[in-house]
Amino acid sequence: MVESGGSGAVNLLSLSYFVFVPLVWVLTRLIRPVKGRQLLWLAASYFFYATWSLKFLCVLLVSSLVNYALGIYLRRSPSAGRLWVGIGFNVCLLAVFKYLPVWSAHLGPGHLPALLEHVILPVGVSFWTFEALSYLFDVYREEDLDPSLTEFCLYLAFWPTVLSGPVCRLPELLPQFRNAKPVWDDIAEGTRRIVLGLFMKTVLSQILGAGLRPGEGVDFGFNQIARGWTGLDVWILAIGFAFQMYFDFAGYSNIVIGTAQLFGIRLRENFRDPFLSTSPAEFWTRWHMSLSSWIRDYVFMPLATWKPQVWWRHASLVIAMMLFGFWHGADWTYIVWGVLQGMLLVGHRQFQQLERRTNLQLPVLVATYAGWAVTFSCMLLSWVVFRANDLSQAGAMFHALVNFSSYRHFVLPRNFVWMTIVISASYFVVAGLRKLAENSKQVPILARLGWALSPVLYSAAMLAIVIMSIHKAVFVYLQF
Amino acid sequence: MTEAILNDTIKAEAIKAGAIKEMTDYIAKELVRRPGVEVTPETPLVSSGLIDSFALVEIFVKLEKLTNRRIPAAKIQPKDMDSVALMFATAERIGKPRQ
Repeated sequence: MVESGGSGAVNLLSLSYFVFVPLVWVLTRLIRPVKGRQLLWLAASYFFYATWSLKFLCVLLVSSLVNYALGIYLRRSPSAGRLWVGIGFNVCLLAVFKYLPVWSAHLGPGHLPALLEHVILPVGVSFWTFEALSYLFDVYREEDLDPSLTEFCLYLAFWPTVLSGPVCRLPELLPQFRNAKPVWDDIAEGTRRIVLGLFMKTVLSQILGAGLRPGEGVDFGFNQIARGWTGLDVWILAIGFAFQMYFDFAGYSNIVIGTAQLFGIRLRENFRDPFLSTSPAEFWTRWHMSLSSWIRDYVFMPLATWKPQVWWRHASLVIAMMLFGFWHGADWTYIVWGVLQGMLLVGHRQFQQLERRTNLQLPVLVATYAGWAVTFSCMLLSWVVFRANDLSQAGAMFHALVNFSSYRHFVLPRNFVWMTIVISASYFVVAGLRKLAENSKQVPILARLGWALSPVLYSAAMLAIVIMSIHKAVFVYLQF
Repeated sequence: MTEAILNDTIKAEAIKAGAIKEMTDYIAKELVRRPGVEVTPETPLVSSGLIDSFALVEIFVKLEKLTNRRIPAAKIQPKDMDSVALMFATAERIGKPRQ
């Protein structure tokens, strides 16, 4: 059912990507006319996507042409009925390629399951379908959008984002496709983001996921069902998985955003220190921001304002977050994870109401640290459901969490436990140092120290990337 | 005749100014609740992170009441609600007067 990229696929960690990007960059510098430049980027994007599979490219092409036509149809008369036609097409596309084949596997033998078994799952289909939907919503909202067919196709296929986002919006990209002119600062910043992203993915996420030695790592820990888990194991696995996901997807986002910036294109940010959040609502403005803002703008807001009652707003939050979970795949673990996130947001809202009613004013420091501790713990526990192989495994892990007599020892290898603690603690140290550095920009000595240290840090990062790249690394979010 | 129209315009402007003040106070006292943060009709609310999406819905419901207009939610974006001044302009632009 799922067709992954073959050995010729250009992915963001392959050597071919670092040949492909400079080549397109040089050709971009040689072509002056905007139209020619856009055609070059579109050809490069289609080539990039076709290296994964020509079939994927065919699906993307059909989606691009149909959505472009739907956009014209909707612009002539922006009615709700016409918008629903567009929504229907894109939902059907996702259902056929992403959800039905998974559900059909549970149906048992038959004609339809046999047919659906051959359906491919184009990589990135969830990302570019949501981009197409946002275009239709924006046309319905009568945004001033007039993309040419080339520009619209480029918007959906743009090679840095086509595999796993960030989920872009046409009003942000269209002016840049027409006027992008990279300056030296863009190239320097883009390169820095790419090196940082590679370090986060190939070193930190890889170490957490696979461990330093066979029989270690988050993946091994979640699969050791026969040996069971103690409460301490579950906490360590939850921390390990949370940081593995963060370094994986934020690392990927850094590479993508950095690549686009080399061409003078500024993409929206996807992560902003999510583990420093002091409330669940804040967490969702810092984690997978491009998708969470999409859900907020196009699902939650229209849904929540449909009825004025407060209960409906709460229900809308849960429905929107359930959809967020479902977006990841047709699996109960994702749906339950989404519902849990919705309930957390509702719980936070109730606490805010209680604060208002009782005029409760906690000291700022207490409120900040208590808010952080509760948010971080709740997010960790919800990641257990997200990562578990099924709900019964999640149940077994939660059972270990509340079995306090199990908190005496670890089943997990000591090496992995210490590594997880060191990496997660280092995240908070680095985040703190970064804040300190931001505040000390006015101090000349500290500013000069930063310049002196940068080459050393980047050399060390590059060395670690080269050493770790001998392992086969795959981005977790490619499966969505 | 001209005087009557002028009076109606002045009256409508006064009602709008009162509504803007009520909305600004509501956001400052009920939703932002941060000491030292001043909310004016021009203060960015969504883009600055002062309010979350849930608060945005509460503002939307209050905006419909204050302007006595039905605003099609699917037609608005958070950027249209980024400040009190912007949200009243949006309500005037796309809201339909209630019967």
